[in-house]
Amino acid sequence: MSLGRDVYVIGVGMHRYGKHDVSRRDMHYTAGMAALEDASISFREVGALYTGYIGGNMLDGVTFAKDLGLTGLPVVHVENASATGSSAFREAVMAVAGGSSEVAMAIAFDGRLGNMAAAGGPRRPTMDTNLLPAAFFAFWAVRRMHDNGTTVETFAKIAAKNWNHARFNKYAERQAEQEITPEMVLAAPMVAYPHTAMMACGAGAGASAAIVATREVAEKLANGRPLVKVIASQMQSERYQPGHVFLGAIVGPSESTRITANLAYEEAGVGPNDLSLVHVHDAFPIEELMYYELLGICPDGEGDRLVAEGATAIGGRIPFSTDGGLIGRGHPGGPTGLAQIWDITQQLRGESGVRQVEGARLGLAHMMGAGSVCVVHILQKE
Amino acid sequence: MNVPVEEGYFRIPEEAGASPVLLGSYSPAAKTYFWPRRKRCPISLEAVEDCELSTEGEIYSWTFVVMPWLGSQEMDAGGGFGAGQVDLPEGVRIQAPLEGKMGDWAIGQKVRLVTRTVGKDEAGNELCTIAFRLVEGAK
Repeated sequence: MSLGRDVYVIGVGMHRYGKHDVSRRDMHYTAGMAALEDASISFREVGALYTGYIGGNMLDGVTFAKDLGLTGLPVVHVENASATGSSAFREAVMAVAGGSSEVAMAIAFDGRLGNMAAAGGPRRPTMDTNLLPAAFFAFWAVRRMHDNGTTVETFAKIAAKNWNHARFNKYAERQAEQEITPEMVLAAPMVAYPHTAMMACGAGAGASAAIVATREVAEKLANGRPLVKVIASQMQSERYQPGHVFLGAIVGPSESTRITANLAYEEAGVGPNDLSLVHVHDAFPIEELMYYELLGICPDGEGDRLVAEGATAIGGRIPFSTDGGLIGRGHPGGPTGLAQIWDITQQLRGESGVRQVEGARLGLAHMMGAGSVCVVHILQKE
Repeated sequence: MNVPVEEGYFRIPEEAGASPVLLGSYSPAAKTYFWPRRKRCPISLEAVEDCELSTEGEIYSWTFVVMPWLGSQEMDAGGGFGAGQVDLPEGVRIQAPLEGKMGDWAIGQKVRLVTRTVGKDEAGNELCTIAFRLVEGAK
């Protein structure tokens, strides 16, 4: 790590994502306790808590933390749009790497998107809310179709893959009873051409948590399980690119992903060909397609070929979104980045059941946060 | 009277039929234009000058969004609205609604700025945002 001490993931926990009405407070408690149990520690041993959410009250983080105990630990609310959970995780990693905590925890949660909007009431349009994210990513898709000849069938194949990965994740929002086909994805109602409703990420509620610690603590708690080391933690905000868009629902230039990933590869001393599995901000399939290239998994313009070959499905050369991703597992907002850490940690420990990536050794988690930021973590099995 | 839904982004000329004018910035150090206005040049970190940008450009990308028009709760007769990214000659890319219906737009088409109403203020003024309309006769 750039800050000094090695950092390990010692516990992860989830509350199911979906369109349920479990309170944010209860989801926070469930995910937090699950992570503590997974790590085999009590909340008393946690030195710092980073709590992430996008909707709700400014007091929620520190208030909900009382359900876990009143130990006096520092509690900080982290908010970074879709990258909130990833940012909370990064803060926990930095707390351990920097030496201020032996054990640090990140918990993130959010209610249903519709409920959050209703709580705010109808708003007068502003220049900044002219267009929604669905339009922004549709712009990427239409331009890609124009420049590379990408077809809507390719987008549908990516979405169907992620729906099918989610079928076997008990915490996923979308657990379809039958296999999802690209034809079913294409037959769903259009939301923003060329994206249909089944290509759009789930937007239910959910909570996720992760606990990180020093090597000494991780070894003491391993109990025969492999150690999961955080070998890169990088975050970048935007750098100017030609055609830079400053206003609206945006995640900045797509190059942000390439820049952040390259910093992470350099920090970790690994390259894209070393990865066993990848999680990305796949709010729409065009994103996953472009991230194949921006993360260096394949040369620019060859992402469509990966889809055609099935390389990014479980069992393929480099599986993406192995828990269903934003499209299948869901994207409540705040906790999503921590769900990625949950899945990668389980994959590296060999605990993912029918979704297990054989021989998984290295996993990369990528998130974009509107505004915008890009966060990349790389985890390694030891 | 038509007024911008928010100040500082564009002005509406008094002449009937005239396009709204985008209020941008120019960085002499980076020789680059921006919209909306910047407090500093994000490239050189030097001072910027206020400027006004072209009212016509080319579609860089487009989509058709199946949802109610801005500020409305109900879908209009068209079942949604168009939206685009438009490149102006100064090198600035603008995101805004596109006038027309699904099938009307293609990358590279010439468009010009217009205003579109999104509601009324307390004084009864028509609140406007910007949109783009295909230039007649342009390919």
